[in-house]
Amino acid sequence: MDIKLVKKVNHLGKDILGCYALTDTNDKIHHVPLDEDNTDYQEILQWVADGNTIQEAD
Amino acid sequence: MALSKIDVGNMLDDEIRRPNAKPLIINGNCAISQRSTSVTGITGGGYNTCDRWNLSISSAGTWTQTQESLTSGDAHADGFSKSLKMDNTTADGSLGSGDYNQITYKFEGQDLQLLKKGTANAEKVTVGFWIKATKTGTNILEFYDNTNTRQVSQSYTVSSADTWEYKVVNFPADTTGALTNDNAQQSVLVFWLGAGSNFSSGTLNTSWASSTNANRAVGQVNNSDSTSNNWEITGVQLEVGEYTSATIPPFQHESYGDSLARCQRYYFSDALYSSGGNTGLVEAFAPTNDNNYKHIFKQFPVPMRAAPTISNIDFREDTASSTDALSQLSADYVTTLTADLYGRDDDASESSYYHGADFSAEL
Repeated sequence: MDIKLVKKVNHLGKDILGCYALTDTNDKIHHVPLDEDNTDYQEILQWVADGNTIQEAD
Repeated sequence: MALSKIDVGNMLDDEIRRPNAKPLIINGNCAISQRSTSVTGITGGGYNTCDRWNLSISSAGTWTQTQESLTSGDAHADGFSKSLKMDNTTADGSLGSGDYNQITYKFEGQDLQLLKKGTANAEKVTVGFWIKATKTGTNILEFYDNTNTRQVSQSYTVSSADTWEYKVVNFPADTTGALTNDNAQQSVLVFWLGAGSNFSSGTLNTSWASSTNANRAVGQVNNSDSTSNNWEITGVQLEVGEYTSATIPPFQHESYGDSLARCQRYYFSDALYSSGGNTGLVEAFAPTNDNNYKHIFKQFPVPMRAAPTISNIDFREDTASSTDALSQLSADYVTTLTADLYGRDDDASESSYYHGADFSAEL
């Protein structure tokens, strides 16, 4: 998946990370769970390792 | 009525050689296409039409991929009614050195432990499939070991343009490098459609070895070199052991329902408006902690390979065609079995909503 940006999404009403909202280069939003078996989550980890930054939750 | 002798010996032999109860390749007959039956303008990789079949491509033309309905030809006569078709719409007659075009099938490591790879008892593997291509000549089928970065390739020939041909390709056993026994991608079957010189400038590696890109697809014709080119497959089966076209066991046709359920381990959709175009579902809502947030606690049809990525979340008031959609759409508490989907309705006046989403746990 071609990543444009990634933003944290907290559990509703809590200050605890629930998932990531990944926006791809077609501006489509994907909600990616914090599961190491999920290949999109793996891509986010690699994207961060490549020097990119995840945006904080609203 | 004339009676034929039943060769019980051969029947038992086939059973013994085929220890897996279900086909190792899911949707080898291309019957399931949950996402779409036709996608145009493809220049990048991903899953498009037939479930489990991934396109991996880099700068190798533009394509339309379809799930075709077969009504004639030898593949149809052999019992196949669907196929995966690649139709070139913008040609690339001169692939760059790093360009490539592949249709791939990715395996979980735990599903190929029966190959006993990396042991003294490692098994040979045979792949049978129907292919119809405009471009005649040499093509490459590759078996790649992701765990150990090893690979083996074999060539086959498309002899007649735009004619269904049945191919059987044999891969040797590999006594080196066990596949990790887990739910991650540890092996992939690669149908090459085009290969730049980075993948074709060496000597075709027909014995298992550490992967050297230059030896992976030597001799591969360029299926991207004309907008007249089509490339189509169906009836793909992977068997443990060494077979010929005369001895390979029959394709294991699954019921549509069984095949769909196996595909849903990796992807399913109940989207209202997404590319899948499936029918939306009506669900009740259950407000939590804020009455303006409407939640659906979604239970998946089968346990998924991993907690899925959720896309195309949509909630609509009253009818699926309503343009009155909820905002702040999101997913939470996603597991391999369930997810909480929610959105916000500021007037909070509705009592029920249509909802949809796509769920992907692909390799």
